[in-house]
Amino acid sequence: MELKYKILKGLDVSGFAVFDPVVRLAYGEEPQKQIRAIGKFIIVPVIFILVCFALTDWIAPKHKTKSGQVPDTATIRKSAKINHLIAKREGIKTVDFLREGADREKTLLEVQALIAEKVAIVDELKAELKIQEEAYKSQLDAKLKPIQSKYDALKAKYKEASNARKAQSKALATQVYNKQVEPSELVALLKESDAQTEAERAELDILKNQLDEKRSEKYEPLELARSNVDSEADALMFLKTREQLLTSRNRSVKVAEAVEKKQGIADSFETATSESKVLNAAKGLVRQELSIERLESQKYAPAATIYLYIQRSVFTVIVGFLLAVIIGIPLGILCGLNKVFMACMTPIIAIFKPVSPVVWLLIFQIIVGAFFPNPDTHPLFVAASNIPWVQTLGVNPAMVFSACTVAMCALWPSLVNTALGVCSLDPDHVNVARVLRLNFWERLTKIIIPSALPLIFAGLRISMGVGWMVLIAAEALSSSDGLGKFVWDEYQNGSSLTFANIMFACFVIGIIGFILDRVMIVLQRIVSFDDSGASV
Amino acid sequence: MSDKYVDIFDLVKAYPNPFGEAIRVVDGFNLRIPKGEFMSVIGHSGCGKSTVLNMVAGLIPSSEGSIIVAGREIPGSGPDRAVVFQSPCLLPWLTAFDNVMLGVNKCYAHVSEQERKQIVEYSLSAVELQDSMYKFPKEMSGGMQQRVGIARAIALKPNMLLLDEPFGRLDSLTRMDLQDVIVNILAKEKITTMMITHDIDEAVYMSDKICMMTNGPQAKVGEILEIDYERPRHRQQMMLEDKYFGYRERLLSFLENCEKEKEARVKA
Repeated sequence: MELKYKILKGLDVSGFAVFDPVVRLAYGEEPQKQIRAIGKFIIVPVIFILVCFALTDWIAPKHKTKSGQVPDTATIRKSAKINHLIAKREGIKTVDFLREGADREKTLLEVQALIAEKVAIVDELKAELKIQEEAYKSQLDAKLKPIQSKYDALKAKYKEASNARKAQSKALATQVYNKQVEPSELVALLKESDAQTEAERAELDILKNQLDEKRSEKYEPLELARSNVDSEADALMFLKTREQLLTSRNRSVKVAEAVEKKQGIADSFETATSESKVLNAAKGLVRQELSIERLESQKYAPAATIYLYIQRSVFTVIVGFLLAVIIGIPLGILCGLNKVFMACMTPIIAIFKPVSPVVWLLIFQIIVGAFFPNPDTHPLFVAASNIPWVQTLGVNPAMVFSACTVAMCALWPSLVNTALGVCSLDPDHVNVARVLRLNFWERLTKIIIPSALPLIFAGLRISMGVGWMVLIAAEALSSSDGLGKFVWDEYQNGSSLTFANIMFACFVIGIIGFILDRVMIVLQRIVSFDDSGASV
Repeated sequence: MSDKYVDIFDLVKAYPNPFGEAIRVVDGFNLRIPKGEFMSVIGHSGCGKSTVLNMVAGLIPSSEGSIIVAGREIPGSGPDRAVVFQSPCLLPWLTAFDNVMLGVNKCYAHVSEQERKQIVEYSLSAVELQDSMYKFPKEMSGGMQQRVGIARAIALKPNMLLLDEPFGRLDSLTRMDLQDVIVNILAKEKITTMMITHDIDEAVYMSDKICMMTNGPQAKVGEILEIDYERPRHRQQMMLEDKYFGYRERLLSFLENCEKEKEARVKA
């Protein structure tokens, strides 16, 4: 029973009170009531979401855009799968690069077997594709033929008519020249002739459009065959890269080659015919040793994947958020404590708060950028490349700018809420402090900050939300590898999956934002004393 | 000395009035409380009772006059004059224990951790909260919260206890319980006490003397009534004696007269 209430309280604190009846039902408490609650607050919303998905699937393909049709849910799922596949393959490549000895040879054999298999499959699929292409062509021809012949016949007929009109007008022109006919008659004839030509052209255009339409119609079997070939060819390419990474591009192989070369140079001392050759050999030896050293510590540099983007984005937003907190809360406390300081800060807050993150990003690129003219040797980046997890993210100036932008925009809610929390100190609590004659520091730590904590954390939560929104825009603009850049690159790329990738990123961004918000809610409820969550 | 343990002399509280003379809410308030005595201050609401108490507590500055407690002019607010406010004024993020500990830490800085803990436990059990020491204010009833407020005040071992309508927001049953809690504590601790109230029965039951204040503005001490009952007192037995109704009568007629005077003044 004890556990039950712990779970319920946990759900309550984390803001998942919706699942309360599920837990109660599992413990057999008033089943009818719980089932009714589940129906109302879980099943109905789930059905609603499913209906939304169904509506999307129905409407999306109807809207054709420059970047292809709006993706339906299946395409978005496919995008998610492909992004996951890419990430998985990069992981495998990283491991392959480091394999050595028997392990490497064994894996190489496996991969080669897989390649042989894949080649067969790809050939088969290519043959199938050819058949489908033929089939497509013949069915297209069949569809086009009647229209085409109609078009051709009509075109020939109109050409003739047009020529006849030209001859007629020429004859009339001669008559006008000879003053046999009034010029107005010729003008009337030309007008009529032009109208005729226009009408004929319109008629031809209709047929031409019909032809184009037929040509652009998709032929399902062909599309399928093509995408099958594409995905299998992709897999084959991946296997071939693996083969390279297990042979010529493998670290241990490269090291072995370098060692052999070094041995060759060392041997050349014996056969050296002059002093300068000896010197050259020694120089070569030094170089070779250095290059072996470098090779030994080398790692495979995987291409950026969606998971790296997510990690970088989350890391950046947390850094930015912490910067905002470190600056915002002390400033907020000062604002709340001192009316003069508040009066000084008010114009600054009022003017800088509404400034767009894009502007801040540019300003930070200029100002902060000046601090590291040479990022490779700057202590900040050197230090970041030595921290265990952070080094895999590749901290760079673009990330710093993004984090600063996040901090700048996330600063204000924290600052304002902290100031408000400190300002709205209960006069009763002030009296207590006065009777106990607490000094400034004791007042601050024992009365002011604890009483302001709920409001401070409410501000932090808003800051986190703002920060996450701002970050995506900042990354897109600063090209800091992250979800924002992912979206931007997809928009620029224009591959067949572009649109679906953007929608997929939209969901990823939303879900991560949701998780961050939940974390902040839990923190907020833990510190808030007017709430039941205080003692958890 | 002992009959002038608390000496309030010619106390004035005046608020500036931008359109005329300063408004003297309290004017020429004189009161002496001997050591260990319980003095109630009674009067109509708005007559300035709380203003006097806040000045004695040092929470608001007096305009003129002096307040001497234990032979010294008061230097502002301080833990030597502990206040129990009308609302419990507990810090909601601290448990009952920590709320009391906050003051104890401040006043007994030189005492060991263990002893401080004992002081807190002692004062919480004096208000019969030994079983709810680690509850948060929101988990306690209004009466329990006020008990914590009382425990916090007495834990400071003050020279003077100031009660600002401490039972004003409680129902009558809880109020009687808490009156007994305070009476019992004072029987042991003998702290000089000043209580603001407008409840006649409460004043008669608890006080050694009752100070009746005239209606404001320019409120001052009207009469001082000595309550001549032996301690410990018993509510029922007190009521059986004729003098109880004599006291009530005097208090009531004073308050009524004040009201009449005020009406007359308004008419004039």
